[in-house]
Order: sequence, then C-alpha cells, then structure tokens
Amino acid sequence: MDTFLAALFSGTSRGAIYALVALGLVIVWRGAGILNYAQMGQAMFSTYIASTMITNGNSYWLAFVVAIVVGAVMGVLLDILVMRPLSNKKKTELLSSESMRAAIPVIASLGILGVLQALAGIIWAAEERGFPAPYAQEGFTVAGNVMPFTSFDVFVITVVLTTLALTTLFFKKTGVGLAMRATALNSEVARLSGIRTNFTRSLSWAFSGAASSLAGLLITPTSNLSPNTLDLVLIIGFTAAVVGGLDSPAGAVIGGFLVGMVISFVSFYGSPEDVFLAILAVLLLVLIIRPRGILGAKDARRV
Amino acid sequence: MLEVKNLVTSFGSVVALDGVSFTAQESKITTVIGANGAGKSTLLRTISGLEHATSGSITWSGKSVIGMRAEDIVRGGIAHVPEGHAVISELSVEENISMGSLFRRRKFKADVTAAQDEVFELFPRLKERRKQLAGTLSGGERQMLAISRALVSRPKLLLLDEPSLGLAPLVVEQIIDSINILCRTTGLTVLLVEQNANTALGVADHGVLLSLGKVVADRPAAELRADANLRAAYLGY
Repeated sequence: MDTFLAALFSGTSRGAIYALVALGLVIVWRGAGILNYAQMGQAMFSTYIASTMITNGNSYWLAFVVAIVVGAVMGVLLDILVMRPLSNKKKTELLSSESMRAAIPVIASLGILGVLQALAGIIWAAEERGFPAPYAQEGFTVAGNVMPFTSFDVFVITVVLTTLALTTLFFKKTGVGLAMRATALNSEVARLSGIRTNFTRSLSWAFSGAASSLAGLLITPTSNLSPNTLDLVLIIGFTAAVVGGLDSPAGAVIGGFLVGMVISFVSFYGSPEDVFLAILAVLLLVLIIRPRGILGAKDARRV
Repeated sequence: MLEVKNLVTSFGSVVALDGVSFTAQESKITTVIGANGAGKSTLLRTISGLEHATSGSITWSGKSVIGMRAEDIVRGGIAHVPEGHAVISELSVEENISMGSLFRRRKFKADVTAAQDEVFELFPRLKERRKQLAGTLSGGERQMLAISRALVSRPKLLLLDEPSLGLAPLVVEQIIDSINILCRTTGLTVLLVEQNANTALGVADHGVLLSLGKVVADRPAAELRADANLRAAYLGY
C-alpha cells in the first residue's frame, strides 16, 4: 500500500511536469506545424540562467520569473530569426517538395538544440550541478511515518494545475486566445478574418517557451542540471504529446499525467532501468491501437 | 469603386489571370462567371491578398491594395468568403463569427455586438445554433456562417466565391436573396464569383465573363444573360 501511494504521488507530480512539456510541444505543433526539438534546450538554457542568478545571491523567485520570461523571449526569437525566414522561403527550388518543407524546420530545431547545448557547455561547463527547490524535498510525516509526498511536490502540482487552468481560460475566453486557436486550426481563414497570424504564431512560440522553462525549473531540483539532463524529459514529453494526440492541448495534459504514472509505477514496482523501455512500449502501443492519440483529430498527420 | 487593371497572376509557368481588367461599381452586385479553371477564384484570392499579383493594379476607393497582407486588406474593408464554406469546424458558431470582428473589438466595442446581432437577424438559424461546433452544421448553414464571419468585419466590399457550391437550390436562393437584400439596403458592394451563371446573372447588376484568365465579356447582367451565343460558347447551356 505504501509503495502504491508513493508511486501514485510521484506519478502525479512528475506527470504534471510532463504535461507541461507536452503542452508546449503541442501548442507550437498546432500553431506553426513544427515539432520543436529545441524546446527543452531552451528550458535548459533558461534554467542555467536562473541557477546563475541564485548562485549570485538573487532570490529564487526573481530567478524563477526571469527564467520563464527568458524562455518566452527565446521562443519568439526562434520563430522570428529562424522559423519564419525558413517558411518564407517556401517557394524556392530547394523547398519545392512537401516533405522537405516539413523536414527543414525540424532539422533546424535539432541544430538549435545542438547549439544551445554547446553554448551552455562553454558558458557553464558541462558538469552536473544541483538546482534548488523553493520548498522542502523531505516527505511529510503522518503519525510517525514519512509519507512519499513532499512540500515541493505540492508546489509542483499547484503551479502546474494553476498554469493549465489559466491557459485554458486564456484560450477559451480571450480574443487573443481565440485568434491563436483560429490561426492554429486554419491560418487562411484566420488571415481573412483580419487576424495577424505572424503575431499569433510568435505568441504560440512564446507560450511554449515559457511553459517548457517552467517545466525545467520544476524538474531540475530532482534531476540536477547539465546541458543534457533535459533530453530525456523532451522524449518523455514527446511521448506524452503523441499519446494524448499531437494536435490536442487537453490530450497533451492527459498524456503527460498518464506517462508520468507509467514511469512512476514501473520504477517503483520494477526497476528504474525499465522506465525507458516502458515509455517506448506505451508509445508503440498507442501508435498501433490509436495512432491519432487519445484526443487527436481523425485526420491528424501521423508522425 | 473596385478597379482591376491588366492584372496578371501566375503560379510558376501557369498563368491563371492573363491581363484582367474590369470595374465593380459601388453598392452594386458584380458577378464574375466562367467555366472551371477560368481564373475566377484566383481573381478573388489576388484581390484579398491571398495570392500575389505578378503585375497589374487593383485599387479600391482609389487606394491600391497590391502588396498588402490579406489580414490588412480585411481591415481596410474588403472581406473575402473563399470557396468551400470556409469556416473553422472545431470552433463554435459564435466563435467563428466573433473571429471576424476580433480586430475591431477594442475600438468599436458596441458596434461589434450590433454587427453580431445583425447577422443573427439575417440568418436566424445560426442564432439557434450559436453554441454548436461549426463542423456540425449543414452545408448551407456553414455558408451562412462563412458569410456572417465576413460581414461582422463591416466590409465595404464583399468578395463571394461560389456560395452556391454543393447546396440545394432552395438554400442557394435563400443565400443569394440575403446578399441581394444586404446590397440594396446597406450599400454593400458585392463581387460574386459563380459557376452557376444563371443564378448569378439573375441577381447581379453587372457581369464579367472570364475564360482562360481573360475577360471575354463585360456587360450589364441582363444583357449577358440574354446573349445565347456567349452562353453556348462559354457556359455550355
């Protein structure tokens, strides 16, 4: 029973973070049609900035906010400096085939991931360092027993659920949210409605950058920080997005929690080495049984 | 007045519009008819900024729209309802409509609500289904929704691409009637592209006949409708 509870709690707080990563991926995929492999590279970079700020005596919360803002700005820069010029070259000879057009931004994002990791290695040295948590990482004590649930877990879950709720409200209730959804669903009709799609697309990148930076800040206290630590998080987040349905933000969240649970239960009942295998098994299973994911649209492109 | 002069639009080596010139008078319905592949849709898409003109000029109320982005052309008062009931099926009826007036919501808050009420009055069926997803609507309702989305942007010029496509005759009549009423009561200028020439010429003031990217006739609609030779040669009935 204790093991079960421990797995459940750990799965919830890990799953919350993966949900955030998956949501970041899905929003850029829907908004710009690009799978952004650089996403956790951006998160790693902004977490390093936060880490440096804290080392230099700034408060955790200031560093927290700065890292999220940096994440958003990096997303916008990536869009304006790399992705938009690439997609504007659509009609050149090189990009005449549909598959090349789809592949080039993906390759570009992989390149950016490499550049960010190398840069982080040069600036901050490639060795692992710890990253602080704002709340205690020791389990609560109930009737003399140490529970497998920490104040930091509560913090993670609260922050993520609040973010998800605010995001939903933003997309459903505000004009800008509607403009972003319209752009993602049909950019031609959006443009004909007077929506400045370049702007809304950049906003998607900003949102995704901020969400993944938040994920970076929340996961590094338990995983440490190095230029490569977030690679696995990207793979897990990507799995979560595909499981949920790559074009569905709600699916991303469900997929995130689901994958978090699978990872947690496998590592508690099996061994941590089996986690990677379990993730791939889940991915394969979903692709075989329901290729469009749990909430994906019927005619979604297969990846 | 919409003035199109020597307009050329090409896709690679394919010339879709080959020096098209005509004018559409204000507060009148001008229809562009012609067979499939005559360049009708390309003409509308070039006016609304979705395609880039290779050469030639397009002016609306004396101002050139060449080189402007589609999203800015709408803001300048030219709304385009593209072919195929262009609505976003994953959004609700209400969302599809308010999408069209998003850019006006700060400056003209009261008028945005008024415009919405007006389209609901014009198409009461949409009001009943305002919370439904656009994807659940019938073809005719979707076309009404696409037109409503365009109307709430308060256009001076409405570009309509094949509103009758795939719809039952009764529904077509209803939609064409609504357009006619709008034009006559509010002074809206309409440029109507149709393959269904008879219907289009029946409601329009003026007709432009396109064939293979060129204007072959540019006359009052009634005259064009009466010309049996032209009909036989270009429209096949």
